[in-house]
Amino acid sequence: MQSVDTALAKGRVPKSGRVAPPASRRRSRGVAPTALRLVAYAVLFAGVVVALAPFVWMIATSFKQPQDVFTPTPTLLPTDARTGVWAPTLDNYLQVLGIGGFATAFLNSVIVVVILVPAKLLLDALAAYAFARIEFPGRNALFMVLLATMMVPGVALLIPKVFITQELGMSDSLTGIIVPNVISAFDIFLLRQFFMTIPREVEEAAMLDGASRIKIFWSLALPLARPALAVVTITSFIYHWNDLLWPLVILSDQEKYTLPLALQALVSGRVGQPQLVMAGAVVAVMPVIVVFLIFQRKILEGIALTGLKG
Amino acid sequence: MGTRSSGVTAPGSRQGARRGKDALTAYMFITPAMLHTLLFMLLPAAAALYFSFTEWDMISPARWVGFANYQEVLFNGDLYPDFWKSVRVTLVYGLLAVPASLLTGFVQAYLIDGIRRGQPFFRLAFYLPVITAEAAVGAIWKWLYDPQFGLINAALGFFGINGPDWLGTPGTVVPALALIAAWQSGSAMLIFLAGLKGIPRSYYEAAEVDGANAGQRLWSITLPLLRPTTFFLTVTGIIAALQVFGIVYVLFSSNIGPEGAGLTYVLHLYLAGFRNGGMGAASAMSFLLFAFILLITAVQFRVLPRQYEE
Amino acid sequence: MTLHRKSLAGVAAVGLVASLAACGSSAVSAGTTVDFWYYQPTPEQAAKVQQLVKEFEAANPAIDIKLVEVPKDDYNTKLASALAGKKGPDAGYLDQPQMARYAGSGQIAEVPAGTVNEGDFYEGALNTNKVNGKLYGVPLQQTTVVLFYNKELVDTPPQTWDDLVATAERVHQAKPNIAGVAVPKGDGFGAWVFPGFVASAGGTMLDEKNKKVTFAEPPAQEALGLWRRLLQSAPRKITNSELPFQKGLAAMMFSGPWDILGIREQFPQLKFDVAPMPRKAKEASNIGGDNGVVFSTSDQKDAAFKWLQFLCGESHNAAFADITGNFPTNVKAAKKSTLAGDPQFKVVLDQLESAQARPAVKDWIQINDDYLAKAIEEAVDGGAPPATALNTAAERARKLLGW
Repeated sequence: MQSVDTALAKGRVPKSGRVAPPASRRRSRGVAPTALRLVAYAVLFAGVVVALAPFVWMIATSFKQPQDVFTPTPTLLPTDARTGVWAPTLDNYLQVLGIGGFATAFLNSVIVVVILVPAKLLLDALAAYAFARIEFPGRNALFMVLLATMMVPGVALLIPKVFITQELGMSDSLTGIIVPNVISAFDIFLLRQFFMTIPREVEEAAMLDGASRIKIFWSLALPLARPALAVVTITSFIYHWNDLLWPLVILSDQEKYTLPLALQALVSGRVGQPQLVMAGAVVAVMPVIVVFLIFQRKILEGIALTGLKG
Repeated sequence: MGTRSSGVTAPGSRQGARRGKDALTAYMFITPAMLHTLLFMLLPAAAALYFSFTEWDMISPARWVGFANYQEVLFNGDLYPDFWKSVRVTLVYGLLAVPASLLTGFVQAYLIDGIRRGQPFFRLAFYLPVITAEAAVGAIWKWLYDPQFGLINAALGFFGINGPDWLGTPGTVVPALALIAAWQSGSAMLIFLAGLKGIPRSYYEAAEVDGANAGQRLWSITLPLLRPTTFFLTVTGIIAALQVFGIVYVLFSSNIGPEGAGLTYVLHLYLAGFRNGGMGAASAMSFLLFAFILLITAVQFRVLPRQYEE
Repeated sequence: MTLHRKSLAGVAAVGLVASLAACGSSAVSAGTTVDFWYYQPTPEQAAKVQQLVKEFEAANPAIDIKLVEVPKDDYNTKLASALAGKKGPDAGYLDQPQMARYAGSGQIAEVPAGTVNEGDFYEGALNTNKVNGKLYGVPLQQTTVVLFYNKELVDTPPQTWDDLVATAERVHQAKPNIAGVAVPKGDGFGAWVFPGFVASAGGTMLDEKNKKVTFAEPPAQEALGLWRRLLQSAPRKITNSELPFQKGLAAMMFSGPWDILGIREQFPQLKFDVAPMPRKAKEASNIGGDNGVVFSTSDQKDAAFKWLQFLCGESHNAAFADITGNFPTNVKAAKKSTLAGDPQFKVVLDQLESAQARPAVKDWIQINDDYLAKAIEEAVDGGAPPATALNTAAERARKLLGW
């Protein structure tokens, strides 16, 4: 058991990536001569331009009027194709939000993450805590089962999962998006690792004071695990907000579409009208970018720490 | 009933009572997770195997056909003329996309590690493409790749290059996909960056004393010490590349691209199962994929621990 | 929420059965909801369909129609999996060639006698609803394909294949950035249009009586040869930009009446007209259309058939077909169609007379979308000899059909 456990930890998290020491100036390899550093900055800035250009293009197109979209020389700003006068429009947004069904899809996506993410966090943390801290018969065997499921690629179980979800009467509903995704073995594993780092003495003191396990979990372990919980919360939010495949196979009724599905329908249904598609893309992408910008430091460090793929 | 009854069964030991109650709490804590694992992981795993031996369209009951699905998928070119094509597309995609995103990610990380100011900004900018929903990535790049009005060919035209019809010519489809993967190199960048920060400063100082220049230090210290990180990223990258779906589904609006050049393994599986009603065959395909990924994971476990001993 | 509504519907169904037993009339209990699936139209069209629903609900206060819009590309996939999940709609569109498959597996209900009068419909459209002589749906609308041309690039529309090639070359030579014609590709659409060309060259697709696959014979080879030839004056790099004709990048295209509406609505500045398909041996085009069916799982069959009756009936069939740019299937309604007076639609209506019905075998969709589409792609874009590509497809079709 123990060996599988550690091997897995190593497999997921290479040693060199495990500890990220504070990036103090001393440690940085930025002792390179100024000239070299200038080259590095130049290349990095060029890279940033490439990385961000698609977003800029998306936003610019989304504000263009239909007749200004197809220009032989691309214009970055929403200007009139013939006169070059500044001519942005909000029509595309009004169209996709109204008739394009994006307002409904936005609401559906919000409902999914607002229910799914906290539920997942709580259930995963409960299991993780039990596996980390409580001795009980069958613990190792059950944890092994959980670990084994982490190796199974999501696609492999797609069809029977759809089948079971249908049999449970949850297909074509938001429940069918939430329930089958409410547990993540990887998150349990991650949180367990974190709970194990909490010193036992703290818990033992509380126990001597007569605190119950539930109380210890709720008012001691959970608050101490806040950094790990934050990483899990934000990565699950991003994952489920963006997920396309599961909603695609579960949902049929457009009234229940989540944003990625609505966007996909827009791409194939509004052929030749990129201004509408880009407005839809902005609506789908912006919430994630905003959340990310707010919590970026926590997420980036957490991801580097855990080897999690965004 | 907790404390008292278990106190009776284990008399004379308050700790025994505590343990009994603890075990009960633990089972309570893990019940949701284990039930979910049973219902949505273990049961589907068994079902996936079973269904792969049946002819099944999700509507009429499954009919046992033995190994017929495996045989037809692998060897019957009349029934599944595109199976091996999808394998080839996926492998070529992996061969291009994984090195492309690793190389980009490494260069980004190396440069970021070498500068003093602005590290968080660059990290953030390069990570944004990773958190963007697949559906949106597809929508945006479909428009970027437009052969007449797309930004990419306009940019190439600026340098006097007559850009190809990226998504319309069989030969350029997979490279176009790999370019998107390189654009999304942010996760590799983060993990490489953590790896770089983990290399002890003293190694470099010793090398400098010996008169090694920046290139030599990169070659003989940085790269060898990053080998576990690279290996980890390669394996996880390959596993992810084998399952690529959303991006092609959106780019080709649920079609297969010119001459099937965009037909990845999972897209083929999806179309065979969900569109043509061949759930049995699709289950066989998912099982084959699962076996292949398991093989890669096994190789990873075999190789990685040895890496650590160095 | 969904569960709740469904169980309410179940209760309503029980009530329905009871009331049926009691008085023997096809009364529909109050608060009945019919889920109706159809292809996601443009927003403007959707609003008009909603208007029709209101009219229906005003006439049938006990029934609510819930429209569910599904993107056309995903329609069959979504439908199959919804039915499998027992969450299928009460009624919906069904593509003509899907009828045999769904009827065969018992998933669509037979149309009760007296629901429609068969003599009211165009025979071709009605017959696509019959499987083994029984009626499983009602024809809602029909369509075909004609030649679209950009009036600023083409003065007189070509009438023959030779004309077509010459016109396309002339345009492309004069303006290398413009393609002569948007050549159909090896996808579902291309394979759907293809039989019209084959028929024009004097050929057929299948000989169902003698169980022979005929789409590899010389007429079909000539049709592929034509497309290949057209490609020389129509580089894909130009036509692969979405909607090349609408954006003025292609001088001609083959498309249906929905694009007449679409262009008027969304590309008003484009000066275009339509003409009959260029011919080789004879005039021909292909046919398409959608039928309305009620699913066996529905517990609202009476109400669902009422809605279908409404859509295909004399008074509303024209309005419904007009919305999506298709043609009425009801003969009397066709006379009322506002589109009949429109010169561009008149061209399509005339073309409909020479439109070729699709083979009525249950696997046609797979032969069409998988085998033929692939052969077209290999021969047109890949440059393989048409005979080789078509023979491979025909061989596969023979195996699939067991002929």
